[in-house]
Amino acid sequence: MTTIVEARDLSKRYGKFMALDRVSFTLQPGRIVGLIGRNGAGKTTVLKTILGLTPYQGSVQVLGMQPERDRNALMSEVCFIADSAVLPRWLTVAHAIDYVAGVHPRFNRKRADEVLATTSMRRQSRIGELSKGMITQLHLALILAIDARLLVLDEPTLGLDLIYRRQFYDTLLNDYIDQERTILLTTHQVEEVEHLLTDVLFIDRGRLVLDAATDDLAMRFQQLTVAPDKIDAARALEPFYVREVFGRTIMLFENKPAAGLAALGELATPGIADLFVAKIQAAAP
Amino acid sequence: MKALPIQIQREFWEHRGLWIVPLVIAAVMLLAAAIFGHVNLTFGNEGRPYDGPNPPPVAELMALGWAVPFYLAAAIQAAAFLIDCLYGERRDRSILFWRSMPVTDARTVLVKLLVGLVLVPLGAFALAAASGLLGCAILALRNHDVVINGLSLLTLWNTAAWLRMQAIMLYGLLAAMLWYAPFAAYMMLISVWARRSPYAWALLPPVLLVVFEHMVFGTHYIGRIVNGGFGEFLHLAYGLKAADAPGRIGSYSLQLLSPAQLLASQRLWWGLLAAAVMVALAMRLRRDRDDS
Repeated sequence: MTTIVEARDLSKRYGKFMALDRVSFTLQPGRIVGLIGRNGAGKTTVLKTILGLTPYQGSVQVLGMQPERDRNALMSEVCFIADSAVLPRWLTVAHAIDYVAGVHPRFNRKRADEVLATTSMRRQSRIGELSKGMITQLHLALILAIDARLLVLDEPTLGLDLIYRRQFYDTLLNDYIDQERTILLTTHQVEEVEHLLTDVLFIDRGRLVLDAATDDLAMRFQQLTVAPDKIDAARALEPFYVREVFGRTIMLFENKPAAGLAALGELATPGIADLFVAKIQAAAP
Repeated sequence: MKALPIQIQREFWEHRGLWIVPLVIAAVMLLAAAIFGHVNLTFGNEGRPYDGPNPPPVAELMALGWAVPFYLAAAIQAAAFLIDCLYGERRDRSILFWRSMPVTDARTVLVKLLVGLVLVPLGAFALAAASGLLGCAILALRNHDVVINGLSLLTLWNTAAWLRMQAIMLYGLLAAMLWYAPFAAYMMLISVWARRSPYAWALLPPVLLVVFEHMVFGTHYIGRIVNGGFGEFLHLAYGLKAADAPGRIGSYSLQLLSPAQLLASQRLWWGLLAAAVMVALAMRLRRDRDDS
């Protein structure tokens, strides 16, 4: 199987501001990759370069194509949901399906109908009359019905309530299991996607600060709740992040022998959210 | 090519006025014909009933008069459409959705140009002709008892003349599409470029340029370009001099058509070249623009 995305030394400058600073990563087929960063960290810019929506420096190959040059061919194989509802308000649900069916060679109308049948949406409703949650459901139904190799989701659940968010990821996951495809998604609600990611990319101020498979995180990172009398000993092992919670000291270590750490307190694998906060704060100037 | 019908439909979904307004005009005119259609016709000759040697061109005048409101509305609507078509999708951010589909920017721009420049005028023509014929039938029924100089008004009807007039108008529309293509392209370029108020951007700069040129240089070159040259167009397309057009209004003959003269016009070809450049620019701008 071929690599889905290969980015090398990807840079993007808006005036003096470096939105991306020599970012390199690869996406392998069949993975669910979370691109995680704060607002303005460069997440959307990464996605835009992959989708050929913006010029960049460096090299990007998506499914063996150059996104900017081959955008049209690429869009037959890549699907994209942007952060906030971008379906036009004047379009009706039925027309939205007609349109995608008309222009997209890989659209399967029956599948879209199946996904939509699970919702309470009326076909004659205009998008402007739907709630944000319903619009996202519609967009997801359209996109899941496209036999795409790469699905790019930019903050797909932003502004949705808990029920819609849960439904969104359930639908996505069910579909993912049905047909092997690669998903790249950005979010800052890390806790909600933590369990479905196979890989994480942390991005901070235009730089990649972590690129790892979630399965490897346990091997690579340790979270130590330090026994009060062992704090100095633990500090000597150079944690990359320390924080105090309810009078207890928690330290995060990278690539340190677990045996040595276990003697200093309670050892655990950090969650992705904790790891994200630690990595971002450790990288802060 | 399979996608073309749905792409065209999509424009009419968004800009519903493009098909609603002509239908409303047709309905209003038919209704007006039915209600107010009983007339006491007089033709020229100081209000006396017509008694000249040549029958008045009733069919031609019906065809032309009936079509004018449709063409005026189509011109205004086409302009409004072209100015909005690439701006609206950025205003509501739906451009991200459109661009996530496998449709090139070039194709999107061309389809919108096709709708604004070709389909809207042709639709107006078709609807004007169809409703006009119906209107003629209604007027004939309402006025069947009108007698002029012993002849029923209905004898003045001439189907061949009516059809000939439609052909003359259709030719004019096709010629106007070529002639006004640079204006359509200019509006699309403004539409894809303006960050806000595309209507103001489309109208103000040409006006200001004309005023500026006149005040500083005292010349009118830009004015001659931006006023559309309707007189020159009529002259070229129909072999008419603008001045004697009213005098020859009675002779609606196919010999009026002078496509060779139009196609030999330099202004036409410069205009088409400008249109091609502006359309290419619009495609490029839509592709490279990143302000979503």
